[in-house]
Amino acid sequence: MAASSEPNSREDIFDSSLNLEETHLKEGYNEGYADDLVSGEEEGRQVGLKTGFEVGEELGFYRGCIDVWNSAIRVDSNCFSSRVVRSIKQMEELLNKYPISNPEDESVSDVMDSLRLKFRAICATLNVKLEYNGYPKSSDGGNIQF
Amino acid sequence: MSLVDESFELKELQVLEGHADRVWSVAWKPATGFDGVPAVLASCSGDKTVRVWEQSPSSGSFQCKAVLEETHTRTVRSCAWSPSGKLLATASFDATTAVWEHVGDDYECVSTLEGHENEVKSISWNASGSLLATCGRDKSVWIWEVLPGNEFECVSVLQGHTQDVKMVQWHPNMDILFSCSYDNTIKVWAEDGDDDWHCVQTLAEANNGHTSTVWALSFNATGDKMATCSDDLTLKIWGSDLLTIQSGNGSAPWKHICTLSGYHDRTIFSVHWSREGIIASGAADDAIRLFAEDGDG
Repeated sequence: MAASSEPNSREDIFDSSLNLEETHLKEGYNEGYADDLVSGEEEGRQVGLKTGFEVGEELGFYRGCIDVWNSAIRVDSNCFSSRVVRSIKQMEELLNKYPISNPEDESVSDVMDSLRLKFRAICATLNVKLEYNGYPKSSDGGNIQF
Repeated sequence: MSLVDESFELKELQVLEGHADRVWSVAWKPATGFDGVPAVLASCSGDKTVRVWEQSPSSGSFQCKAVLEETHTRTVRSCAWSPSGKLLATASFDATTAVWEHVGDDYECVSTLEGHENEVKSISWNASGSLLATCGRDKSVWIWEVLPGNEFECVSVLQGHTQDVKMVQWHPNMDILFSCSYDNTIKVWAEDGDDDWHCVQTLAEANNGHTSTVWALSFNATGDKMATCSDDLTLKIWGSDLLTIQSGNGSAPWKHICTLSGYHDRTIFSVHWSREGIIASGAADDAIRLFAEDGDG
């Protein structure tokens, strides 16, 4: 009885001091994990809100432009050249194609890039200086004005 | 007798002074300089103006006939006459391309093409003068259609280059567009019917291409060969099958023919293939070299 229980209690004592490093490592990890679970989710929500707002605002801007252009075409079908009308239609298709409810869809950046390109081409032809102030330009240098 | 056997000499005829800053580019006006029509030249400069020079039939010297100013707000980087000579397009660091028309004794800016986000580097008219291409530091190439009344419509905005696009050039007889860039590649763009332009070929390092910025490209008279020059100190000759190009269906792939190296020891900024088959190159080593093909190619 004594022979078998002593080694056990000795083992237990030594075990806990030998595994001190491992125990504390685990404790620290668990603490950090739990903490970050909370703050990470919060941060993710903030980023999601911000990105969602920016994307939504830009898409809304394009929607508005397309709606005005379409109204103009309804009033006078000849107000724009056939090429411009076609481009507006293509832009509208792109807009409808944007996966608004699925942010993890990999095509989001491609569709957005195509949208921006079409928008610039249409504006250039119509000779209008419409500019969406939100999105980053490759030449941006803190020149955003409202 | 091939050109290689003759000896050529470049003789300076005149120095034209007038610009207040560096002159970036010059362009001869088409259909001038022969048959009694005095030669006309356009030059564009860092002084934000473009000057038009005309050769006097009696003295043979060039005089400045017009100064195109108060339009561009920054350096005018390059200029190109339309094939008919009626219009002059000027590309500027102010991100716009201006189109000028000769009206009476002066030139009037009849249209301004906006769209590039920053410096426009080069412009090119296609053979028929119906299309105008521009390219710039924003890495994009824009194609515009020329409509009656000097109206311009943007046909397409081409993305693909990953860096500053230095020059665009239309093929001399087909509506195929070539662009070269700081990204070391040359891209070939063709239309798939109905304004659908896309890149049909990229000539990169792997295709025996340049290993540094490609600054310029130029076609021979028949359009089946092309010369390119680069910061990698070489000139490269490329060729394609003429019949396939002209058939227009699918595009004829361009292949590397040869590389001319060891002639310049600084960046070669400019190359041009004359109608008679002489290739001229200009480089940062302050030298202009003339090349001709010898019998064996």
